[in-house]
Amino acid sequence: MVATGTWITQPVAFTSYQVTLGRIALVGLVALGLTAVILMGELDLSVASTLAVAGVVMASIDNLALGIIAALVVGLLIGAANAFLVVVVGINSFIATLGMLFLLRGLAFVISDEEPVRLSNIDAGISFGKPLIGEFTPRILLFIFTFIVMHLFLTRVRVGREFYAVGGNRQAARDAGIPVRRRIFTGFMISGLVAAGSGVINALERTAADPTAGSTVLLSSFAAAIVGGILLNGGRGSVFGTLLGATSLGILQVALTLSVVQVDVQNIIIGSVLFIAVISDPNSIRAVSGSVRSFLRGGSVLSKPSVDPKEATNNG
Amino acid sequence: MDVVDESDALPEDPSRTGDAIIEARGIVKRFGGAVAVDSVSMAVPPGEIHGLVGENGAGKSTLMRVLAGILSPDRGAVVVDGEELKAGDTRAALEAGIALVHQELSLVEEMTVAENILLGSTPTRAGLIKTGELKRIAAEALDEIGVSVDLDEPIGRLSVALRQFVEIARAVARKPRVLILDEPTATLTPTETDYLLDMLQRLSRRGLAIIYISHRIPEIFRICDRVTVLRDGRHVDTAAISDTRPQDLVDQMVGRQLALDLQTHRVPAEPGAVVLQARGIRAPGVDGVDLEVRAGEIVGLGGLVGAGRTELVRAIIGADLRSAGEVTVAAGGRTRRVAGIRAAVAGGLAYVPEERRTDGLALTMTVAENVALPNRGRLSRSGVLLFRKIADFALGLARTVGLRPPEIRREVGDFSGGNQQKVVLAKWLGRRPDVVVLDEPTRGVDVGAKVEIHRLVKDLADGGAAVLMVSSDLPELLELSDVIHILRDGRIVGTLTAEEADEKLVMSLASGEATVAA
Repeated sequence: MVATGTWITQPVAFTSYQVTLGRIALVGLVALGLTAVILMGELDLSVASTLAVAGVVMASIDNLALGIIAALVVGLLIGAANAFLVVVVGINSFIATLGMLFLLRGLAFVISDEEPVRLSNIDAGISFGKPLIGEFTPRILLFIFTFIVMHLFLTRVRVGREFYAVGGNRQAARDAGIPVRRRIFTGFMISGLVAAGSGVINALERTAADPTAGSTVLLSSFAAAIVGGILLNGGRGSVFGTLLGATSLGILQVALTLSVVQVDVQNIIIGSVLFIAVISDPNSIRAVSGSVRSFLRGGSVLSKPSVDPKEATNNG
Repeated sequence: MDVVDESDALPEDPSRTGDAIIEARGIVKRFGGAVAVDSVSMAVPPGEIHGLVGENGAGKSTLMRVLAGILSPDRGAVVVDGEELKAGDTRAALEAGIALVHQELSLVEEMTVAENILLGSTPTRAGLIKTGELKRIAAEALDEIGVSVDLDEPIGRLSVALRQFVEIARAVARKPRVLILDEPTATLTPTETDYLLDMLQRLSRRGLAIIYISHRIPEIFRICDRVTVLRDGRHVDTAAISDTRPQDLVDQMVGRQLALDLQTHRVPAEPGAVVLQARGIRAPGVDGVDLEVRAGEIVGLGGLVGAGRTELVRAIIGADLRSAGEVTVAAGGRTRRVAGIRAAVAGGLAYVPEERRTDGLALTMTVAENVALPNRGRLSRSGVLLFRKIADFALGLARTVGLRPPEIRREVGDFSGGNQQKVVLAKWLGRRPDVVVLDEPTRGVDVGAKVEIHRLVKDLADGGAAVLMVSSDLPELLELSDVIHILRDGRIVGTLTAEEADEKLVMSLASGEATVAA
């Protein structure tokens, strides 16, 4: 919907698709990782800080390959630490990862000595920013790759599929013998790994790791997942939805920038899009209209047809 | 055991368990201080349908959750094929062939029928789901119970009845040797119920051991070979169905001394004018109910869990939507229609919900603050709360309801269940309501607090309030009510006065054993 609107008003957003794709890939990648966690009804607020720490860790190690590996391992460890706090210690994931958000951001500054760390291998960074296949930069290719892997994981792999059960009906998952705690660990580690990967990509493209990197990514990536139709309570959503969400928001943002709309106004528009996306979701549209109507009528009793279980029953 | 059966090969004595597949040995399960299951033993051989009956709270579901490894017993063991099962391990129980069909449906709405049927045992190769095999096994399971439904349909789009059948297919897909069903017919129509019962008989003929929990006595007599009665967490009797009469079962389920309860019955005041009148109430779970409550009268609503009692009272007071029907409250010389709960409360109605912890109290606020909530108007001036006035008001009410300790500055969450319930009552007492609607007023409350709450309810009625009360506690229902309506399947199936009501009659009507009021 947003894409079509933009097509009409700002075809430039499509002709300068490289900028658009770059924007989508930045937010979308983090959002893909987040999807794994939100599907289980948990939150991960530490993704942006993870991104920063991973970048700084990578840049602090002279050997590029070693640096990348170290950064990804750090991402996995952060995910495991988040899961430990949530599953073993029993802290609400909002609070646990909020703590992690501050802790890691501080850590990024300490490691980097409060300065952007330049990559020792600048050439690698410069070539990383260039198109690799056709017009696609490695960042975009990695984003597409991650999307495909996550999509297959959540639809074809048993462990990923069971994320839906953990988020949709945790007691049922437990009763069915699904190791719920292990699944939550896996989810947080995916989120941490993907966020760290984004940090690596970011640092490579800029040929330097900035401890302040990614501060705008956190809420944008949540917005992308939500516009993509994910349910914060868990159980509903898909990486395809998240991709659509990230795409819509990315196109919108680039289009607004190209139309010389001020950033403040852009934020107002993005906020409105978020509301519209959530309200216009076919699953919530009935509930929303119902509650608005009853609010306007001062809480009077509405007539609502009762559901007849016999109607849909098919006794073979 | 008082039953001896020579002709049947099945062991009548639960301790004689030579050929049993599954056996519970001296199971004890406590929740906090309360004993839910107290040294219960039972054994089921292959091919038997074993009925399990008892009142609400008799410990049936708890016992079954222990058998299925969901709960770990405090004492005793579950034995399958002579081998002790690892306690509280769902997977071990599943592997031993025990499948439980839950009372509350435990399906994942966003997943498909096929995925739900094989939830937790999805066939995979190297972690990847084998979609073909997944669908094949799911289709087989559905075939086995003779239900056809689209395998790729998300569960969220199915009717409640179909979900129930998917739940059973899920148990069957695990090739169980013991199938436990906890009130599977509670949400089904008579036709669907027939179908389910036939299906269970087919399955048992193939050697499956089935444990069947139901409140509906006719169902027990239709399909079960033997029946075990639980009461207050204890094993009362196990007998062959051929040696049992429906009335015996009801007697054993209830089994209390009636005289004791009748002693404390209130002498009903001269009933006043009709205050609360409900006509033709329809709502989800409620199928056309008329009732009225007079000033100074306590009307009790009896019935089994799922009979639609809570749904009925919530529809009456406008807390939930009703699809048809009209409710009026006549008080203070005015008759008003009850539409929404807010207007109803403003008009002098008090509602004490079943889930007091979630619906009735703000647990992190103090007693005084909670009590002040519905009385803000009187306790504030120009929107500013008058703390001195609130304190006096709360202290007075705390004394009236016998709050212990009477510390109105403490958080409600610190008090015991019984005292919390007193705070809920105090909250409404302060308003001198014309209509009081109570849902399970003493659930989870200790005996001492129960007596005091009963006294409060009687005082309310004596003070002229019209009281409508839902209770699953039979002695309580009989002690407090002047008139008892018994609900089943969302309809009133019998109305008894205080004089003619007794536990057996109420239970018979509620379970469908008797169909006409005496």
